[in-house]
This record gives sequence, C-alpha cells and structure tokens, in this order.
Amino acid sequence: MKFAYYPGCSARSTCAELNEATHEVAARLGLELTPLEAATCTGARELRAIDPIGFLTLNVRILALAQREDLPLMTICNTCTLNLLDAHATFVDEPEMAREVNVRLSEDGLSYSGRTRISHFLWVLYEDIGIDRLRQLVVRPLNGLTVAAFYGCHITRPPGRYNFVDSRNNVALERLAEVLGCRPIDYSGRTECCGFHTAAHDERVAIKLTGQHIKSARTNGARTIVTPCPLCHTVLDSFQREIEKDMNEKLDMPVLHLPQLVGLALGLSPETLRLDRHMVETRTIESFMGS
Amino acid sequence: VVSEAPAGEPLDRTPPATVDARRLGQSEGYDTLAARNTRLAIGDTLSVRVRRSEGSEPRVEQFQVPYQKWMRVLDALNWIAENRAPDLAYRWFCGSKMCGTCAVRMNGREVLACWEAVEPDMTIEPLRNLPVIRDLVVDRGPFDRKVAELEPWIERAAPYAGFPEPLSHRDMRGASKALDCIGCMCCYSACPVIGLGDLTDFAGPAPLVQLGQTALDPRNDPAKIERSLARTGIFNCVSCYKCEEVCPAAIPIVTRVIEPLKAKAAALVPAMAAHSFALRDIVATRGRIDPSALVLRVQGLRALRNIPRVLRLLLRGKIDLIKTFLKRTTPAAVAARRLLGGRR
Repeated sequence: MKFAYYPGCSARSTCAELNEATHEVAARLGLELTPLEAATCTGARELRAIDPIGFLTLNVRILALAQREDLPLMTICNTCTLNLLDAHATFVDEPEMAREVNVRLSEDGLSYSGRTRISHFLWVLYEDIGIDRLRQLVVRPLNGLTVAAFYGCHITRPPGRYNFVDSRNNVALERLAEVLGCRPIDYSGRTECCGFHTAAHDERVAIKLTGQHIKSARTNGARTIVTPCPLCHTVLDSFQREIEKDMNEKLDMPVLHLPQLVGLALGLSPETLRLDRHMVETRTIESFMGS
Repeated sequence: VVSEAPAGEPLDRTPPATVDARRLGQSEGYDTLAARNTRLAIGDTLSVRVRRSEGSEPRVEQFQVPYQKWMRVLDALNWIAENRAPDLAYRWFCGSKMCGTCAVRMNGREVLACWEAVEPDMTIEPLRNLPVIRDLVVDRGPFDRKVAELEPWIERAAPYAGFPEPLSHRDMRGASKALDCIGCMCCYSACPVIGLGDLTDFAGPAPLVQLGQTALDPRNDPAKIERSLARTGIFNCVSCYKCEEVCPAAIPIVTRVIEPLKAKAAALVPAMAAHSFALRDIVATRGRIDPSALVLRVQGLRALRNIPRVLRLLLRGKIDLIKTFLKRTTPAAVAARRLLGGRR
C-alpha cells in the first residue's frame, strides 16, 4: 500500500518524534511512504485569511506533487489536512481559480486535475489498513491503559467538511484505542480547541483553554492523552509546565501522538517511537506494556 | 403499485463499500435530524432537566414530559410551563427559526428551541457567556454594546448612484452569508475565546457577523471599515469552528465572515495582522515554518523572557537554533518564494 507522505512543518521541527514514529509504524503496517521533498507549508491558518490565492496555490501544488506520483496523500496534522481538503474543494468548485493556479504551477512543470485523495493517518488505519487487519497486528495490547482521546478541531469540524451535527459524536479515536487494548475514557475536552493558532502572539488563550481539558481528562481517570494533531500536541505537552503554573496544580499528563500509541501496541519500543522527546515524562504508561 | 419505504428508512439499503472514517459515530450518535426523529415514539416519556435561577444559586429541576409527535425543545418547554412550572422563564417569539430569541443549550450544545428535535434525556440550560436574568433568559446587553461599538453601518465613500443601484450578486457575495444571521447568540455562547472573558479583546463571532454584513459590502467606505476592524481583536479567533457548528442559519462563520474580515484587516490595519505577515514571510523564504523563527519574529525579545523553557525545549531537541539561523535553500523554499513573492 503506497502513499505520498506529507508530514507538515510541525512534524519536521518541534514534533520530529511524530515524523520518526510515523515512519516506524508505517513500516510495521506495510505502508510505503513516498516523501514529497519539494512540498511547502500549507499556510497554517494565517495564509488562508490574508492571501487566499497564495494559500490555494501552495496547497494545490502539494496535491499536484502527489498526483504526479500517482499516489493518495497521507497527512498527520489536522490543520494541514483541513487546508488541503479546503483547497481541493475550492479547486473543484471554482474552475476559473483552478485554471489560474495551474498556470502558475506549470512553471514548475506541475499541473493538478483534482485526482488526489487526501487522508489523515487516522483515516488510513480504518479505510486502507482496516480495523480487522490492525487487530491482527497488535502484539502487545495496552491492556488497562486509560486513554483520553483529544481530537482537536480540524479533523472533526467544520460541519461543511465532515457533516457532524455535533462533532462530539465522533468516536474514531476511541474505537481505535479499544482495538489497541486501551480503555478510552469520556471527558469534556475530547473535541475542544487547544488554542494553538493564536499562541505565537499570545499563549494565554492556549494555556487557559488546554488547562481545562487536561484537568478534565485527569479527573476522569486518564493515564495518557492521545492526539492525531502535532499542533494540539505542542500545547498539551510542550506548554504543560506553563499550564501547571497557571492552574497552580501538578498535572503530569503524558501526551502521545496517535502513531506512537499505535506503535506501542504493535510492539515497537518507546525509544524507537521517540517518547524521550516529549516534555512530559511518559514512563508512567510503560507499565501497561508488560505482556 | 409503487411500494413506499417506511418513514425514516433510507431507500438505499446497500452497505457502503468501505468505512467512511471521517464520520465514525454518526449513526450511534443519532447525528442527523432523520435519525433523531426515529428515537422517540408516541407514549414515550422524556426526562428533562432545566437549569433554573433567579438571582440565586442555580438549581436543576427535573420534569417528566410526555412525547408528542414531531416534538421540539420549545414544545417541551411549553408543556412544562403549562403543566408543571408556570413561573419558568424562557424566551420565544416566532417559533420558526426567524427571530433568534429562543436559543438555549441542550445537552451541552447551542440550539434553537423552536427548531431542535427533543431527545429522550435532555438537560436544558441558558446560553453561556451572557449574564442570566432568570432561568433560560439571558441579557443580550453585552452583545448589543459590542455591536454598537463596531458601528455596523454603511458610510458611502462614493456618492449614491441613484436607484437602481449598480450592484450585482457578485458584488454582494462577500456579505451575503453574514446577512443570513438571525442574531440568536448560539455562536457567542459556543465560542471558547469569549468564554475566557476579558483575557483578550476578541469581539466574538456574533458581533463579527453583524459587522461583516456591512464591512464586506462594497459600498462601505474603507476608512469606516478600518475604524471598525481596529476594535475587533479579530486575530484572537482560534479557528475552532465551534461557531459554525452551532449556527442554525448555517453560516460558514469562519470561512465566509471571519477570514474575509481578517483579509480586510490585513489590508487596512496591517499592524493587527503582524503575526500573519510574519508567518507568510517565513513560508516565502524557507518554504516551511520554523517555529522558533516565527516566535522570534512575532514576539521579539519577549520570546526570551522564559529562558528556562527555551532551555527545556533545547534539551529535548524540540527546537534547533542552528537550523533556525542557518536558512537552507530547499526546493520547497524556491517554490514558495516564486509563488508567494518576496518579503513584504
């Protein structure tokens, strides 16, 4: 099974452990990943507002790079995923803009015709690997590990893209956690916002919002949080010390990237999955990897 | 004779070829109107908890309400007021999704009472982020004052062209979605940044939609729009789409109102968008975002206030200052520079 692979900027810098873990897990799952070396940033949230044409061009270029390889595109970041899905939709809905973008891309010898399937790693597990196959591959079920699934926003909202009347009804992460042997817990932060997108100019919003979510996960018995988004991970993990300071309370909540949780159940070691690169110690969950 | 499918049953019974991973949970969660209408039948009893208050600590009162066909949240409230709690305070007027006065929170989600199907178990609360006057009635004053501050009206830059005004549907496309607003405050209640109170100067989704109705109108004077936008704190929107999710008028609030207003702010009040321009410059020169470079550009020396944290991040390899200061020319950087242009 082959995919063009788009890790995004975060997994190539502050969350490099996510990139490493994804490659390791992909190898175990039989996913062959072709990196798109010339791919740029998708523009985060900023570019789409202040430069819609630039935004469309960069994203369609990424889709064109995947199309040139004749491969579907796998992402591991919520915001990149939504940006690419939105750009693809604009490309299809606005033929005039689509033509204009293709003219700009032709200087690179690239062109897009709307063929690239965009899929986040979470969806690839369900749609391409298949849950039954995944279950067979679990060699070290994480029995008893209580997990709080933190979806973030851009993998379950807006409703115009994912069709949820109430995004809290999403159960993709919990169902997956069960397949890995974990016990998912319910808490108020599941599909709430981490505040990452305004954190570069003002961290206080992210700190206040995410503090409530981690606290709720903890109160409801979670031993770890798992997230499909490196941007959420950055706030949940890298900001946790500041969050504790703000709440005047110890939280000590380990936060795993989704491929890391999958990798642990597939028998990969915490070292291979680079759990040592996290800011919050993850050793407390290693006792669940006994069997 | 053409046989009819029973009500509520989809005609196409073929199972989907593959799992649609993006929608897992929609069927168990009764996540469509059709599905929710199948959950109850005549003879069922609803368990309804209503949060009540009158200048005192809020209390929750429980009611058993007999289900009626096509019952809405408003019908349940009416039944409670007529049969159990004549002093229950709640607002409604049109009963048909027009006036925007009956919004409440049902099971943690903002809904119009007049439009939402009842659920077997419901907790009904007043909207958040506005003071409660009594029971389910909130004071819209803070919203009204914010909207007034934003001066949501049109001041023409050019003289009136006379009737009929030369305006096409294309000209009005920008403001068109915002004009669907019924002012129900669902989005204002759902917004997590507004939930943090005075922490930021963010005006919030509902006031921004009101502003969008005129600020995205081509007849409005840019000087007037600039004055309004400067008071919005619009770049504090975290892009969580909570507002879009609950909007009963189905306005794409983030993509069709907030983002176009941000674009206007970037053009008219560039200082407000400094962070966005910094990000654009970094992508244009490096092809990708280097988080350290972004934080240094946006925060300047402020970024160094928290030295222990910088050290912690360095220790774990979360930041790589060599990479930050040595800009490598990559194919991505070359492409981004060509497509986005140079630094502003």
